[in-house]
Amino acid sequence: MTDFIQLLVGGVLTGSIYALIALGFSLVYRVTGVINLAQGAFCILAALTCHSLQAELGWPVWAASLGGIAMTVAAGAITGALTFVPGLSRLSNANMLMMAAGLLTMAEGGILVLWGSQPYALPPFSGNRPVEIAGILVPTQGLWVVGTTLLTIACLWYLLARTRLGRALRACAENPAAARLMGIDVPRMTLLAFTLAAFIGAVAGVVIAPATSLQFDTGRLFTISGFVAVAIGGIASFPGSILGGLLLGLVNHFATAYVSSLFSNAIALGLLLVVLVWRPSGLVGAGVTRRQDVREEARVWKHVVRLKPPVAWITAGIALVGAALLPTVLPEGAILSSLVIAGILFIALLGLDILMGYAGQVSLGQAGFMAIGGYTAAWLAVEHDVAPLLGVLAGMALSLVCALVLSVVTLRLRGLYLALATLAFGLLVDSFAIGFSDITGGPSGLVGIPSFAVGGFEFDTPLSMYYLVLVLDAVLVLLFAGAIRASFGRALQAIRTDQMAAAALGVDVVKCKLTAFAISAMLASLSGSLYAFFFHFLSPEMVGTARSLELVAMLVIGGEGTLVGPLLGGILLTMMPAVFQPLASYKTFFSGALLVLCFLRLPEGLFGGAVAGLGRLFRSRQAPPALVGEGMAP
Amino acid sequence: MNGTTATAALSVANLDRSFGGLRATSDVSFDVAEGTITALIGPNGAGKTTLFNLITNIIRPNAGKVLFHGHNITGVTPARIAAMGLVRTFQTARVFPGMTVLENVLVGRHRLLHAGTLAQMLWLPHTRREERNLAAQAEALLDAVGLASYRDTHAVDLPMGAQKLLEVIRALMAKPRLLLLDEPAAGLNDSETEELAALLRAIRETGITVLVVEHNMSLVMNVADQVVVLEAGAVIARGRPDEVQRNPRVIEAYLGSDATTQDFDAQDSDAEEARP
Repeated sequence: MTDFIQLLVGGVLTGSIYALIALGFSLVYRVTGVINLAQGAFCILAALTCHSLQAELGWPVWAASLGGIAMTVAAGAITGALTFVPGLSRLSNANMLMMAAGLLTMAEGGILVLWGSQPYALPPFSGNRPVEIAGILVPTQGLWVVGTTLLTIACLWYLLARTRLGRALRACAENPAAARLMGIDVPRMTLLAFTLAAFIGAVAGVVIAPATSLQFDTGRLFTISGFVAVAIGGIASFPGSILGGLLLGLVNHFATAYVSSLFSNAIALGLLLVVLVWRPSGLVGAGVTRRQDVREEARVWKHVVRLKPPVAWITAGIALVGAALLPTVLPEGAILSSLVIAGILFIALLGLDILMGYAGQVSLGQAGFMAIGGYTAAWLAVEHDVAPLLGVLAGMALSLVCALVLSVVTLRLRGLYLALATLAFGLLVDSFAIGFSDITGGPSGLVGIPSFAVGGFEFDTPLSMYYLVLVLDAVLVLLFAGAIRASFGRALQAIRTDQMAAAALGVDVVKCKLTAFAISAMLASLSGSLYAFFFHFLSPEMVGTARSLELVAMLVIGGEGTLVGPLLGGILLTMMPAVFQPLASYKTFFSGALLVLCFLRLPEGLFGGAVAGLGRLFRSRQAPPALVGEGMAP
Repeated sequence: MNGTTATAALSVANLDRSFGGLRATSDVSFDVAEGTITALIGPNGAGKTTLFNLITNIIRPNAGKVLFHGHNITGVTPARIAAMGLVRTFQTARVFPGMTVLENVLVGRHRLLHAGTLAQMLWLPHTRREERNLAAQAEALLDAVGLASYRDTHAVDLPMGAQKLLEVIRALMAKPRLLLLDEPAAGLNDSETEELAALLRAIRETGITVLVVEHNMSLVMNVADQVVVLEAGAVIARGRPDEVQRNPRVIEAYLGSDATTQDFDAQDSDAEEARP
């Protein structure tokens, strides 16, 4: 019984941390309709700043804590003003989510540059000795956490329910368009909510810091925990977020104690998926449903990117010949290997482009399928001597099955909730990869994976892999170009923007989505298998959430909905550290920054920008007559 | 099923739908004869668009049924209904953003294409042939409504009137047996409305039945074979345009109880309100 109560207390302590992070999510969501994935970055930024102020400048704990919070709030306000607020007026909610993912990546990269990759530990506020209450041991820091959580909830409640400012914030949450008409400065309120969320995140980070070990990517873990909590509890409601946080903390503690620590994450994620199927908006519904449509009107559509067929064929031919001749002038080394990796990732990107760029289905868990393909093929090859080609096919088949099962959840979801479900899937696969250590080698990875081979021929050099990947990429692009430029591609694009109008024309929406999802899963799986064979090694973090987010960044930077554009993004992000060795540690930062920049400045990506540039260059043939003023009279 | 429903392209029987306490349609019944143009008119909020949504099952009716060429389509998914040949447009033009004008029109034919995705991936000759034929037909239709020169324009860059026309020919590409048009003349100027009237007559010539919601009375009186008048969710009159025009209940619904036939003809309601 004491054990049980001890677990209960531990669960509540952990849960109140999650609840605090979840509150930040909920606040930004309620005012803007966006899930701000950068929430966890505020925590880690505040915690590490606090550490540096203590360790480097010798500030006392309270001063360092306040300093850390102040600096984080300032950084949050600047980031919000430069990226988040301008983004809101021109991006769809799903794209805002991915821009927030970019902000998280950027913050992670920035922290990596400033603090390096080593772990940090902060001393507790009031000593290491736990307090004993009725035979139950409670760490003092836990009391600080619970106290801070309660205080934050109380302050937030007072602000929103009892002040003029709070009323304005709530008006923005319920109907921004109407709020604007009532004279409320919506962008300013948005910035305020974002900064307030940064403040809550920073406070959480500072009090949590002594209870956990800190590293550059801890922010992502905070984000994920808070995000799972908020998704379970109900993102549109503060009580829901708190409940979700406490529930997640309890589930984690009890699962660790009674099942296994390796699977406690998997159980929490399983719970999330069940909630998503059962009640997509979370356990606690919002009092007022957020009017999503009010803001969706503001979405600005990008230009159509189309190359004329002869131009496309000629460009593709030149690019292919160039790529085939490239190794003759390149020394065999890091650059060639990076090109191989970019080519392998491009296979997954092709699938992601069909799913996201064409069908408009957000996926933040694509690396989950890479993991399935990679581990299946590698395990079969290492443990059972199965020919690599068969292993690749087995991985693709397994991915297809998983995709079909997952689609039971995803087919019912759109936009944010779809992103949530796919992210949860990626995390679930990730936790299995760590948990099933007999098969996957656990956190330290699977070693001794052979080279890819077909028949008797082994692709055991970077050069042979380069040509294999080149041929594979070219064939896949040709195949999918055939379907994309015909009715399949048109149906996907129709679904992307208007499912109802597409259905009214007889387009089978479910079948199209399912096909796109299955294709993307199998391509990601193929990519994951080749990745494992090329590295002769596979660890969970090579195909984890960071990889999923990186794939999205590559897709957006290269150009969504262009089929070949993502290759540019892939090459750019893969080559950067290889070409500019001294800048290698900036890679994560640049990848995030480029993603954010593309969303704000170049929504058609590099490829779209290049095509538009070419179009301006060759603007000679009959331009259509001007459309202005026609048909506008009532 | 009685004798009239056997020949009717569309037969709406006792359709009921409430939203909370509001009865959006109550006991609505009417037939649309094959090969005719039927206009559905009524004041704002009369339930015209709701009725369209009930017929195409975007909203489920609480009671009643819809027969399409004698088949009960109540509860059938919107995509299946479209596949049976009942195609609709929307009140606000819903062109697909991110696609060119030509591509938008091509989507219309989606349900009738034979080439599978796999065949398209393999660039098989018959899929290429099908695509070429399709593009030729789409361009002929674009030409017919004067949009041919905008074929490669981003569809949302077209002015509203042109988008509405685009939506009509996109629906035509689906080779409908019955075409439901929701306010196709909204946002069109007088000469464009004339063109639309000609287009509607041409559509009727090809044997396609049309049911159109429209506010523009001159267009309705000009092209409709039958007019159905809705008020507050119920059918208050139906018949030939000239019959409906003289119907006292219709005049009352549009202009209030003191109005006369002359008021309806003159559309002179503004004078009433201007008086202090």
